[in-house]
Amino acid sequence: MTSRELDHYADVQLLPGKAAVVKLVVLLAVLAVLPFVVPGYRIFTLNYMAIFVIVGLGMSILVGDTGQVSLGHAGFMAIGAYTSVLAMTELGAPFLIALPAAALVSAFFGFLLGLPALRLDGPYLAIATLGFGLAVTLIIGHGSLFGGHMGLVVPEASLGPLPLSGDISHYFLIVGITVVLAVAARNLGVTRVGRAFRAIRDSPIAAETMGVDVAYYKTLSFTVSAAFAGIAGSLLSLMNGFISPGVFSFTLSLMFLAMVVFGGLGSITGAVLGSLVMGYVNLRMDAVQEIPVLGPALQNFSDAFMSPSGLPNVGWVLTGLMIMLTIMFEPRGLYGVWLRVEDALRWLRRRSASGGTATGAG
Amino acid sequence: MSFFSVRSLSKRFGGLTALDDVSFEVEKGSIFSVIGPNGSGKSTAFNCINGIYKPTAGTVHFEGEQISGLKSHRIARRGLARTFQNIELFANESTVDNLMLGRHQHMRTGLWRGMGMLGRTTRAAREEVENRARVEQVMETLDLTAVRDRPVQELPYGTQKRVELGRALAMDPKLLLVDEPSAGMSPEERADIGERLRSLRDDLGLTILLIEHHMQLAIDLADRVLALNFGKVIALGAPEEVRSHPEVIKAYLGDG
Amino acid sequence: MLLQIVASGLSSGSIYALVALALVITYKTTEVPNFAQGEMAMFSAFVAYVLIVDYNVGFVVAFGAAIVFAFLLGVGFEGLFLRRTKNPTHLNLIIMTLGFQLALFGLAGWRWGADQRQFPFPVSASEVVRFGDITVSTLSLATISIALVLMAAVFAFFRFTKLGVAMQATQQDPMAARINGVPVRAVVALTFGISSVIGLVAALLTAPLITLDPTLMWDPLLKGFAGAVLGGMNTPVGAVLGGYLLGVVENLFGAYVSVEFKSAVAFLIIVIVLWFRPVGLFGRQPPRKV
Repeated sequence: MTSRELDHYADVQLLPGKAAVVKLVVLLAVLAVLPFVVPGYRIFTLNYMAIFVIVGLGMSILVGDTGQVSLGHAGFMAIGAYTSVLAMTELGAPFLIALPAAALVSAFFGFLLGLPALRLDGPYLAIATLGFGLAVTLIIGHGSLFGGHMGLVVPEASLGPLPLSGDISHYFLIVGITVVLAVAARNLGVTRVGRAFRAIRDSPIAAETMGVDVAYYKTLSFTVSAAFAGIAGSLLSLMNGFISPGVFSFTLSLMFLAMVVFGGLGSITGAVLGSLVMGYVNLRMDAVQEIPVLGPALQNFSDAFMSPSGLPNVGWVLTGLMIMLTIMFEPRGLYGVWLRVEDALRWLRRRSASGGTATGAG
Repeated sequence: MSFFSVRSLSKRFGGLTALDDVSFEVEKGSIFSVIGPNGSGKSTAFNCINGIYKPTAGTVHFEGEQISGLKSHRIARRGLARTFQNIELFANESTVDNLMLGRHQHMRTGLWRGMGMLGRTTRAAREEVENRARVEQVMETLDLTAVRDRPVQELPYGTQKRVELGRALAMDPKLLLVDEPSAGMSPEERADIGERLRSLRDDLGLTILLIEHHMQLAIDLADRVLALNFGKVIALGAPEEVRSHPEVIKAYLGDG
Repeated sequence: MLLQIVASGLSSGSIYALVALALVITYKTTEVPNFAQGEMAMFSAFVAYVLIVDYNVGFVVAFGAAIVFAFLLGVGFEGLFLRRTKNPTHLNLIIMTLGFQLALFGLAGWRWGADQRQFPFPVSASEVVRFGDITVSTLSLATISIALVLMAAVFAFFRFTKLGVAMQATQQDPMAARINGVPVRAVVALTFGISSVIGLVAALLTAPLITLDPTLMWDPLLKGFAGAVLGGMNTPVGAVLGGYLLGVVENLFGAYVSVEFKSAVAFLIIVIVLWFRPVGLFGRQPPRKV
């Protein structure tokens, strides 16, 4: 094969070619218009899903890229939320300061957790992060500074002169930040640091042999991932108007892990898709009966054979099953399913192009 | 001051002595083969040299400075690269990305510049392009261009071995440690890898430390040979001398 | 006073020790901590409850039925789900157990709701027995004795029965075991079954102390993990000792330092042990191969 003039930048470019630019513009346009098109009470749902995406991006970096398990990410979200609120109430800081503060403090704790993580593999790391997450909820739940069980009320916030009240203003802030972070996470993945992360996942010994300071990058991965969760926590506090320890439970951490697994580890698209789905499921679990056709059927079944008040638990069953089915059959998750769909479409196109003659499958 | 020297290197694992007082020197721009039956400590020696194990005793010096005791990534930055006997590729990554890891220490893009890579003119982008071009060159010399975008776990074994070598070469090393490059290869592939290693020495002036189980290949390529058995040095010198050394013959025949 | 605290520490420690033991025997075989263990035990305990309360079955029979259920649940999970995982990396298997845990938790919540129930355990928590200065509830006594008997039985099983020895062999070196004719796959499935049964006993001993609801085993599972980490996740004896040690230390902490943060002891122990000595007090470092 002769040497050809490759456009190396195309390998890593965010928008390689006109089609990609068009797709992005369309996406941004849709996002911009969405809050004015959907019913008002649904905007909160969109915001919630976006926040899940932010956490998902961070989880993708830590779990998908670097291969580290975290069962305690709700803890980082909690730290971000409480830092943000306390900065505003105790220090009188504006939201513009509270948000980055949340990111920094969470990042710091991410760094702290990253240190013991250096010597721990798989199961031990999982347990350590589990302990961390639970410790955070325990401390928050009992400290008077944190408002104990009742939690804290979030004061009125504004971004400079613009007031941040109402779902629509929240939407543009949250979705805007989500888009920026998605681009940042994607770029990180295709450059030097992202490659170092994935090298650590695939073979830490080889990575170290090739000059990657595994300790540094593992810690960095935790730090960045925690920062993302912290930002999500701060934004969540804004959305909800109050925060309490009960939100940041182990089950939430499990959801966070589930969504990147379900979406597809190691792919930004997968993380986003998985986060959107899980975010929606998590929020709407209480409203299972509202699903057309299936909802009332489940409600009837529930009344007859199960505990009538227990219907929301279906969400957990569903999530658990999604996780198991994904791991068992398509470890690449939704993204893997999407790849298969793409492959099938390509194969179909080829078949019809070659006039139906059976060439080798793709 | 020699280019690369190992002095009284020993490695014990609990009660087991894997390496016992091993010493040798390697001249710059030469190929140095290490031979010996299975379990004689060859890979252990490599692991000690590139920092995966900490030697129990003894030192390793490279370009006049001690590298024994340093962490692997620091040793890599001194210009030392190695391949692994049982391929340690980044299985889920493409060939290009595997080789790009070889450029890691030559690049400076960190967290912020990486995240903010928007546009051709950014420093991160220019660094990517520069280093990808270098990687492209390495892939060409190893005939890997055709598989550049394939995940390496899909590649046939022989190709994977070439990727393994390519990664090490992408580091632009001064000293290359190759651990059983011809393992599992057909005679043609073996001859091919032999040629490649020879041209690395002749054309690029690379110094190569080679572990090779296949005696003929080791002897053919080498300028000097070290023979190990049970972790001890049993012969050291010119290829033919070592090959016909009685201890060496005994070690290989006795190995069954 | 001190002895009293230690005594109640041994009682709660018994439960932690059982959970730790259940955890370690599957961990040794698969190198995967079975996070679903707590919910499996909880679910089986609910089965017993339903039999006793809704179907008026006697405790012993219900207990027996629950044991069978737990055993089958363990074997089923391993054989039908865990084993079928396409790409069985440690991460994937851990996530499998987490998925199963979530599904079981949801199923239990759906079926039985969050209502808090009293588990009708034949031994009372309010009757007490006196040993000199120490007052121990009959339940505590029962807990300690049952736990000890069960653990002794498990150890005897591993040591002296053919099947038990085969399990040990599989844990140490699956490849060698297979070459020697051990039906490794069946053994692994059985290990999960046994582990599930041990978990059930722990759940039944926990239920009378607090109410029976789907979150029953959350705390004991964490404490069991902490105990196993403390003692050493690749040694059953160590893990059991770790569980007891945790129970005692936790109680001492609760009595002399702070009751509110008693649970924090478990986390603290996890952090400290994993930082300083990840293999645990009694564990051994497996060698690293390149």
